[in-house]
Amino acid sequence: MATRTSDRQTSRGSSTLLSNKRTLSMAQTKSNFIFFLTMSSMMHMALADGKTLVLLDNLNIRDTHSIFFRSLADRGFDLSFKTADDPSLSLIKYGQFLYDHLIIFSPSVEDFGGNINVETITSFIDGGGNVLVAAGSDIGDPLRELGSECGIEFDEEKTAVIDHHHYDVSDPGEHTLIVADPENLLKAPTIVGNPSDKPILFKGVGMVADPDNPLVLDILTGSSTSYSYFPDRPISQYPHAVGKNTLLIAGLQARNNARVVFSGSLYFFSDAFFNSAVQKATPGSQRYAQTGNMELAEALSQWVFKEAGVLRVGAVTHHPVGESTPPAAYTITDLVEYSVVIEMLSKGSWVPFDGKDIQLEFVRIDPFVRTYLKKNGDKYSIQFKLPDVYGVFQFKVDYNRLGYTHLYSSTQVSVRPLQHTQYDRFIPSAFPYYASVFSMMGGLFVFSIVFLHMKEKEKSD
Amino acid sequence: MAQPRLFSLVLLTVALGAQALTPSYHLSLSDVARLQALLSQPFTDLASAYYSIVGLSKLGASVADENDACHFLKAQLDPMSVDSLFFAAEASQAISDCEIPVSNETRDILLAAVSEDSTVTQIFRAVSALSSLGLPLASQEVVGALVARIAKEDNVLAITTALQTATRLSQQADFGGILEEIEDLAARLDDLGGVYLQFEEGLEATALFVTAAYTLSDHVDTEPPLKEDQVIQLVNSVFSKKSWQSLSEAFSVACAAAALSNNRFQVPVIVSAQGPATVSHNQPILQLLVTDVLSNPLASASVVVESAQAVVSKNVILTQAPFSLRDGIFELNFMTSQPASGYYQFTVAITGDTRLVASQVELKVKVSTEVAITNMDLSVVDKDQSIGTKTSRVDYPFKAKGSFTADSHQNFAMTFQLVDVNTGVELTPHQTFVRLHNHKTGQEVVFVAEPDSKNLYKFELDTAERKSEFDSMSGTYALHLIVGDATLENPILWNVADVVLKFLDEEAPAAIQSKTLYMPKPDIQHLFREPEKKPPTVVSNAFTALVLSPFLLLLILWFKLGANISNFSFSPSAVLFHVGHACMLGLMYVYWTHLNMFQTLKYLAIIGSLTFLAGNRMLAQKAVKRIASK
Repeated sequence: MATRTSDRQTSRGSSTLLSNKRTLSMAQTKSNFIFFLTMSSMMHMALADGKTLVLLDNLNIRDTHSIFFRSLADRGFDLSFKTADDPSLSLIKYGQFLYDHLIIFSPSVEDFGGNINVETITSFIDGGGNVLVAAGSDIGDPLRELGSECGIEFDEEKTAVIDHHHYDVSDPGEHTLIVADPENLLKAPTIVGNPSDKPILFKGVGMVADPDNPLVLDILTGSSTSYSYFPDRPISQYPHAVGKNTLLIAGLQARNNARVVFSGSLYFFSDAFFNSAVQKATPGSQRYAQTGNMELAEALSQWVFKEAGVLRVGAVTHHPVGESTPPAAYTITDLVEYSVVIEMLSKGSWVPFDGKDIQLEFVRIDPFVRTYLKKNGDKYSIQFKLPDVYGVFQFKVDYNRLGYTHLYSSTQVSVRPLQHTQYDRFIPSAFPYYASVFSMMGGLFVFSIVFLHMKEKEKSD
Repeated sequence: MAQPRLFSLVLLTVALGAQALTPSYHLSLSDVARLQALLSQPFTDLASAYYSIVGLSKLGASVADENDACHFLKAQLDPMSVDSLFFAAEASQAISDCEIPVSNETRDILLAAVSEDSTVTQIFRAVSALSSLGLPLASQEVVGALVARIAKEDNVLAITTALQTATRLSQQADFGGILEEIEDLAARLDDLGGVYLQFEEGLEATALFVTAAYTLSDHVDTEPPLKEDQVIQLVNSVFSKKSWQSLSEAFSVACAAAALSNNRFQVPVIVSAQGPATVSHNQPILQLLVTDVLSNPLASASVVVESAQAVVSKNVILTQAPFSLRDGIFELNFMTSQPASGYYQFTVAITGDTRLVASQVELKVKVSTEVAITNMDLSVVDKDQSIGTKTSRVDYPFKAKGSFTADSHQNFAMTFQLVDVNTGVELTPHQTFVRLHNHKTGQEVVFVAEPDSKNLYKFELDTAERKSEFDSMSGTYALHLIVGDATLENPILWNVADVVLKFLDEEAPAAIQSKTLYMPKPDIQHLFREPEKKPPTVVSNAFTALVLSPFLLLLILWFKLGANISNFSFSPSAVLFHVGHACMLGLMYVYWTHLNMFQTLKYLAIIGSLTFLAGNRMLAQKAVKRIASK
């Protein structure tokens, strides 16, 4: 059996396990699926009690941001609060990550304590850990460096995002308490939650995205009139971020599905901003009894800590139409049925995913066929005709959508040319040849009978 | 609605906290309301009733239905339990006309609890219950028990509880070492960044310590051993948490607030502006709120501006000006000293009460004004200047008629001035941006307009040079002027004109990867190889007929010649030979359509050998017959 299956999975643990598998017969695929199920229950547990390290400027932030932390704790996160300069800090011990998630609510930190520094946080992300960072106008160098590593450039210390047209009525005087319109949010409900019309309060430092990094997501941008500069100095050089380029909240999903969210504002997550009323200072603007901060912060934390937008591949099956098992090798132009189960994590359990744009590719170096899969019960399936080219092909589902983990499944099959008996026997153009052969054969038969059994007439007659 | 205003107070005080040590947090009116709402929850047990009733009374409020509450206390009371007695007795004290019946047994239980063998909490509860129920107790004995217990339970909560116990004892008692415990505990407080001072045991411990320290100091009439800075830091850490998790936490915050706003020694004062700390020509009066931590106005205080200094120029423009009190708000007409727009640093002193802590406050006050745009001229200038420029003037807030076209040989230029509406002075606001927005692509490019030495703003757009910033996208751009400053009351966003920009070598804009990264890819249908074109079947049919014709010819000629098979004898060998022969020919056909070489050879071997034997025999018979006939 020449079928080979490999699946890249959503979690760190299972992907290393699965990559060890080399050749699987199709008979093993079933046990493989059972393996997935056990794997998933383990993953489920792992996600439910995600160990999270929270780094704070001072422990008082735990009190001023208690609603946010309580919502995390209620959702089953195991939070350990430490000050960012605690000398006992460590993320990695004996090559193992001690935590699944990291929250950095310490904008002003100049040096992390213990053995945490920007490199260890970067390798934590490389190892699949998720990080939530909140900065502020007092941003220190380590956070700026961490931002640069992730394709996000923070503005300098003591700068703030300023918007003279969209500031809150309760702004203390520098127009840095910004009311961000929900229209400036990224259009991705898995990341920012369901659309609402509640404005978002923001006070902090601005960011710009590295234009060369395609993975950076502009989760919340400033309005056209916003800019980022020192509030107390006249503008002598072009501001770091201007207009819609000003990022208030930015995100990143790395290629290994690790997620990072940067917020320019620590106040954004505070109890005060969660409970505050909001109204733009422009005369006649609408007043909202509550900001949209709480909903947005909750949606962001669900996304960044992999509670939302997590997909996985279940059982993959393929076979010729009319049969139920895959052959050793397909023949060119066979009609084939492919189906795959795709599941999404929702409130801690895996449910069938409902997507309309999942594509299947049939690839030999380049894709020969790319077509949409149709939802059929709990699975996605499609029937299609194999191309008239032989070789080693892969059924490939490569689903990469905004806000979801990268879903990848490839199943290798071989496609062989027609056997000699499978060609057309009688081509109309060649009828003279067949006719001559059959007439010769007929002639031989008739002639042999006549030759052997003819009674010659008497010569005298 | 009061909420945004109060919220601003919190933020303002946050901003102030950085300069001098003044309280950054207090309970604003909305905080107090939320605290009261939390404490007004329905009772679940005696402890929650105690927290609610006493907590509310500390905030100066009371439970909705005192009779109900009293019935609840009496119904839930367990006269054998010290805890139960404590909760009921303390809560009943806070309700008018609610007497808890006392029996001798109860008294004995409570008195028995006051001993070295009980925990500090038990002693506290027993002592409090006894004093609330009006029963006599021996203060000196209690002190002895407490001192002994503290030696065993050396933790913050136990010592704080001991301090609270001491407040219920007779003033004549000799407290001995207990009073010094306040100072010892204060030394145990953790200083967080110079702003907060708290116990690592949490908010509740800190708040209860503050309560106990002040109540005991009042009780024994000695000043608490806390420095002003420490008091302010304690205020910050107790009131920074705005969302309380439990009733007991809310209760402790309420007690601390009551102790801090009403004691005989130290009352932290909160100075904040009413609304934003802004004055302007329309609103010349600066309004200050001077309150305690519970946002109750301190009407007895008097407020004086010691100095008001411009932040940029450092000019002092006002000294020793008193605020006047009106309806609980302190007011000052700052515009009478004719300040220029900008920020002013106020040093405000609050006097009138010796207890006040943090009575010297620095305030940042903003003087704002309105801006007007004048002399807005737009022109398109040829670079070689061979053609005279035609300028057109546009007035705010109208849009220029027609659009301006600039190609790569031309510059687009804009000049304007910004003046203060109230004084006519030229202004240079923080934000003077020129924004070019392409409606079709949504692209926006922002430039900074800079003033020259005469404060005349000039903006020139060199179309050839700025090509890259527009991605060389020719088209119509809406030109906006954005003017804003924190000291401007009327920020301006003005669509001045439409500009058509023409770039020379228009390249197709490079596909941005991030836009396509998450999109479905285009469908691919496999193109199957076209079958080769075949010659017309008429030709092949004709030739088929032609090929078959010799066989027919053979049959016809044979018929004419009189071919026959009269010699055929139905011997088994003859029949078998011809059948075998036919089968071999048939096998050739089956080989062509179905079989492979090996299968064919197998069948051929069987049929062939049979045919061979049958043929041999048949020919032998024929030969015998022929010889016989001769």
